[in-house]
Amino acid sequence: MSEKFSPALRLADLNDFIAPSQGCIVSLQGGKTKQERVENAGSKPPQTDPVKISLKDCLACSGCITSAETVMLEKQSLDEFLSQINSEKAVIVSLSPQSRASLAAYFNLSPSQVFRKLTTFLKGMGVKAVFDTSCSRDISLIESCNEFISRYKQNHVNDGREHGSSIPMLSSACPGWICYAEKTLGSYILPYISSVKSPQQAMGAAIKHHICEKMGIRPESIYHVTVMPCYDKKLEAARDDFVFSVDHDGEGRLTPAELRIPEVDSVLTSGEILDLIQSSSVDFESLAEAPLDKLLTNVDEEGCLFGVNGGSGGYAETVFRHAAKKLFGKELPGPLDFRILRNADLQELTLEVEGEVVLRFALCYGFRNLQNIVRKIKIRKCDYHFIEIMACPSGCLNGGGQLKPKTGQTVKEAIQSLQVLYMQDVAVADPFDNPIVKGLYDEWLRFPGSETAKKYMHTGYHPVLKSVSSNLQSW
Amino acid sequence: MEVEGEVELKELCRLEGHTDRVWSLAWNPAAGGDGVPAVLASCSGDKTVRIWRQNLAADSWDCTAVLDETHTRTVRSCAWSPSGRLLATASFDATTAIWENVGDDFECVSTLEGHENEVKSVSWNASGSLLATCSRDKSVWIWEVQSDGSEYDCVSVLQGHTQDVKMVQWHPVSDVLVSVSYDNSIKVWAEDGDIDDWRCVQTLEESSGGHTSTVWALSFNSNGDKMATCSDDLTLKIWDTSGSFQIIDDGHSPWRHICTLSGYHHRTLFSVDWSREGIIATGAADDAIRLFVEDKHSPIDRPSYKMILKKEKAHEMDVNAVRWNPKDPRLLASASDDGSIKIWQCSC
Repeated sequence: MSEKFSPALRLADLNDFIAPSQGCIVSLQGGKTKQERVENAGSKPPQTDPVKISLKDCLACSGCITSAETVMLEKQSLDEFLSQINSEKAVIVSLSPQSRASLAAYFNLSPSQVFRKLTTFLKGMGVKAVFDTSCSRDISLIESCNEFISRYKQNHVNDGREHGSSIPMLSSACPGWICYAEKTLGSYILPYISSVKSPQQAMGAAIKHHICEKMGIRPESIYHVTVMPCYDKKLEAARDDFVFSVDHDGEGRLTPAELRIPEVDSVLTSGEILDLIQSSSVDFESLAEAPLDKLLTNVDEEGCLFGVNGGSGGYAETVFRHAAKKLFGKELPGPLDFRILRNADLQELTLEVEGEVVLRFALCYGFRNLQNIVRKIKIRKCDYHFIEIMACPSGCLNGGGQLKPKTGQTVKEAIQSLQVLYMQDVAVADPFDNPIVKGLYDEWLRFPGSETAKKYMHTGYHPVLKSVSSNLQSW
Repeated sequence: MEVEGEVELKELCRLEGHTDRVWSLAWNPAAGGDGVPAVLASCSGDKTVRIWRQNLAADSWDCTAVLDETHTRTVRSCAWSPSGRLLATASFDATTAIWENVGDDFECVSTLEGHENEVKSVSWNASGSLLATCSRDKSVWIWEVQSDGSEYDCVSVLQGHTQDVKMVQWHPVSDVLVSVSYDNSIKVWAEDGDIDDWRCVQTLEESSGGHTSTVWALSFNSNGDKMATCSDDLTLKIWDTSGSFQIIDDGHSPWRHICTLSGYHHRTLFSVDWSREGIIATGAADDAIRLFVEDKHSPIDRPSYKMILKKEKAHEMDVNAVRWNPKDPRLLASASDDGSIKIWQCSC
């Protein structure tokens, strides 16, 4: 199970799996039958009393007490999903385009067909609406573009005189990377990370702060589930930063505990959705194709899906095009020239003006490439302006929550076919031209980087201090 | 080698200086032999690395450098680059330091960070272009040396072990890495062009004739067709990769278990080293050093090994490391929890 987490999280020891039934003991010798030779004399004797821990404890701990997994699975499981469907809550599902592609590959369908059939399937179970995180991702992208321009300008002002922490800007959509940065790298790296929320959390904010009103449902009456290619997204949804309190005109009818509302109540992976389909008696391929919920779905009048290129969200590409236009007056209509560096998971993109490189962007996927970028930033030898960082090799299409390659297919072949399938019947579209997103800015967020946008679409990061328990196991 | 008559291990020198247990040793491959003094690096729980040079005139060993104030915790392992110009040191402080040797001076030219916690071992490949490290965080990292040896790029983070990785060692000829772990397994890693990354090509565990407890160390014979591993299960195991006609995926000829030496050790074996002449030395928790050679009378298809010497009380405490000098294959160094290093002359 723990192998489903991204490599960054696996290294950060989230996988030292001890089930809560065993008490999640802080005792770090628990389970060992033999005493390993003590290589570090003078360490404290380990505690032996069991200590109950919660998912929050896991996220707040820099060492490893246990895996958050079991704790998480109780709250974010198919069982919980089914029980919520049978409750009074309105269940809303937001489907990621990566999960859509993974299911499409499995069923030999197109992304649009999967989306429509899944809508039929979920609504048949009692789900109120099925949305598309490509739509909220367009908000994340627009906010990222805006943030980049201001960071670039700020860096330019400081240029040569002092080292700011504005450039390079590091993308923030990958929860494995964020967790690793907070738990392991600490305060020096955090200022470089974009403050923009991931598409999952942008969707959560849009639904529970705004769309719920349109739907005539109170935020606390919504159970919002996202379908993601990634296990780490469950950790993201559980972050304290993404839980808010509602103000009910000071009536005080609700107890404080009930007032705490997560933007995303639960995350199911592509694999878990397949389990859900297979555990029902439904023949998925023969299901009818339902119309899509246009409120928060990138689908045009003709019923065609649209979105940005790039299996990991297209952050580098979108911000690059925007920056070239805004900062240097260059329209870049054609495909961008990504150059592969050390390996396919490390690619570079540059813009030259009068023979001088003015923009230097990178895609950096996988833990080994991430290490080199982080190292360069630390010794101040990183000359990129923007880096799209994803913890998984090959990015989000290869997330730990995705379906396994078909029998006889290598991982590489599976990824290549997913990359093609991902945009198969999806039109490439500029996020700034998205009419739904324009509507959300007009009626709610006002403009990119506005106070409202900052309040709902941005977040912060917190270094996790090394705890005593993390040092206890040092021998 | 053929052993005739009495085998002896004569203590030439006892090197004192470390103030805590000595963990590991490394002979400088570019020094020693032909009237050139040999150079040995030692690392310790006292957070320092000491450099010892043979004084041929005085028939003694001098400590010529103490590398301190860089690592903040135990230095667990050290390794010279093939040219002898760089020394890599792995520490419980989660870092690996790279030292450049200029004259008698050592300058820390790079610090490799990334492991989550204690780095247990470090090894250079045969050409000196790659460095491997392993850690209690269960991972094995491969670093590529850039230009002059002061820049390093991480080329792979390998997660396959389920516990603390005790040691990594590159094959003496090809770019194949072997790691041994507290999870009782031995793993073989190689680069896979298809995925543009390194991956585990073979795991040797109990079911493949492997160890039943922590594997502490490994050593290759000089041409690399055999490998010895030692363990907390009180055995020394010999593995062979020659003459295997079966090829596992993409050209890697697999290692197979050919011999288990049990009954010789009654306490944990911490270190094993295979000399150029074919003598296998072990260092163990019973303070003894043992020497083994292949039994020439054993059938060609079923080689066996015999003990030719047991040096009781080689040290006052656990023997953590034994290392044969690469130039003078009868010269052995040992390091112990008693804080001392000993230089031995083997005669047979």
